[in-house]
Amino acid sequence: MKTKTRHFFYSMGLALLLGSGIPTVQAEETGSYPPKGDPARGARAWADNCTRCHNLREAPELRDDQWITTSFHMRVRAGLTGQETRDIITFMQMSN
Amino acid sequence: MKTLQRHILSSAVAGAFTLTGTAALAAQDDIATLRADIETLKQQVESAAEWKRPNSLIHMAGYADVDYVDPDNGPGSFASGSISPIFHYQYRDLVMVESEFEITTNELGENEFELEYLTVDLFLSDSAVLVMGKFLSPLGQFRQNLHPSWINRAPSAPAGFGHDEAAPNAEVGLQVRGGFPVGSDGIKANYAVYIGNGPALEAAGGEIEMIETPGIGADDDGNKVSGGRFGLLFPAQKLEIGLSYATGQASVRDTAMTPVFYETGRDYEYTGFDFTWRPAPFDLRGEYAKQEVGDLPGSAYAVNGGAWEAWYVQGAYRFGDGKWEVVLRLGEYDTPDDATDNEQTLVGLNYLFASNLIGKIAIERNDNPNAGFQNDDRTLVQLAYGF
Ligand code: HEC
Repeated sequence: MKTKTRHFFYSMGLALLLGSGIPTVQAEETGSYPPKGDPARGARAWADNCTRCHNLREAPELRDDQWITTSFHMRVRAGLTGQETRDIITFMQMSN
Repeated sequence: MKTLQRHILSSAVAGAFTLTGTAALAAQDDIATLRADIETLKQQVESAAEWKRPNSLIHMAGYADVDYVDPDNGPGSFASGSISPIFHYQYRDLVMVESEFEITTNELGENEFELEYLTVDLFLSDSAVLVMGKFLSPLGQFRQNLHPSWINRAPSAPAGFGHDEAAPNAEVGLQVRGGFPVGSDGIKANYAVYIGNGPALEAAGGEIEMIETPGIGADDDGNKVSGGRFGLLFPAQKLEIGLSYATGQASVRDTAMTPVFYETGRDYEYTGFDFTWRPAPFDLRGEYAKQEVGDLPGSAYAVNGGAWEAWYVQGAYRFGDGKWEVVLRLGEYDTPDDATDNEQTLVGLNYLFASNLIGKIAIERNDNPNAGFQNDDRTLVQLAYGF
């Protein structure tokens, strides 16, 4: 559907919901996440971190979307910072 | 010019003009159609690319292994190995649910199903993640980072780093973990601090037999344990060191009574140290882990506490285009009960079909000088795949 039409219908739906008094938490726009990182710093962080525990896993092994969750999984596991995670995701997706 | 000729010529010119006019109109139509097509295409591309950056992600990963174990003092047998599927559900950079199961078939042919971990991770800031639920113990490195079979360079866990031995396995509680840069040389710190239900103690024959750390789902003894690990990473030197500590109380539980009876708590303490040094093509790692429980005068189960202590050092060397790897691991496990002590040496050879598909063969020597007899030495074969 055209973006404008989609927005129109979506706003209408939201207005109806809000008007009916049902409390909602508004979802964010798709595509605005994850914020782009810096691929050069991502390459560095990848080289520094991704062989600390296991063999290197390379970009073509997984799809772009899979790299998002995998990198967040590794963020928790390896104590990466949020910035390193975004940089690594961007680097992986660009190398894919 | 003859009239006829003139006519022919003028009609030809007129005809040509008409044609060009029609062509121009047709071209305008085409352009409009093309524009519309491009617009539609743009939207389709936009939607098609949405999967690359969706708000909600569902992801499956995990690992599996199949094994053959040949002990010196018994028949060799195939082991079903295990499959450990991991499921992730993530909403943007706000939250992720992490879960892993382990499914295996035991010696009796029965299937075992375990929840390895299940947590809700809230990404609080760039340097802190709140992890709540059942998680792998954040103490040390083997249990949380190295035990999956496609990661472990040996087909077995080091002595004392298996289930309910010196290194705690899992915890049910709350932890905050993350990392931050220290100074300017690219040095990084990572940390994990937690509070959880803590372990349970099993006693028999007037002694504490083991400290159970499967991640206990309720704190029926009312004694929490808290602690954590602090790690420093020196990327230029390819070096990481970690220090772990936890403290609290733990109780002997009597599962023969209904309801299960929990004795008064006694002191519990964990201390650990780990390192990784990776000057390629070498990979050297080591870890020390000690769990200690205090005495409890007047205890009906076990007056004396004790210490469960283990260490290992492991060196691996890659050769043959990085496809082959030799591994040497030395370690020791020391418990209050001499019969379960173990001095272990493992020598192994691995073939890497891919970075996440590894064939391993190893000879594991287990000695128990304290008990005056030889434990079972084993030959282990394993094929491990991380996906
Ligand atoms: C602190 C240790 C550690 C570091 C550092 C680390 N990993 Fe992992 N990684 C693991 C463990 C442990 C698993 C297995 C997860 C499990 O079984 O729970 C894993 C699993 C994976 C998987 C399998 C898919 C999945 O989500 O389980 C991929 C791919 C991966 N890591 C890539 C990476 C990349 C890329 C980096 C660098 C950003 C990295 N790892 C850094 C420990 C680590």
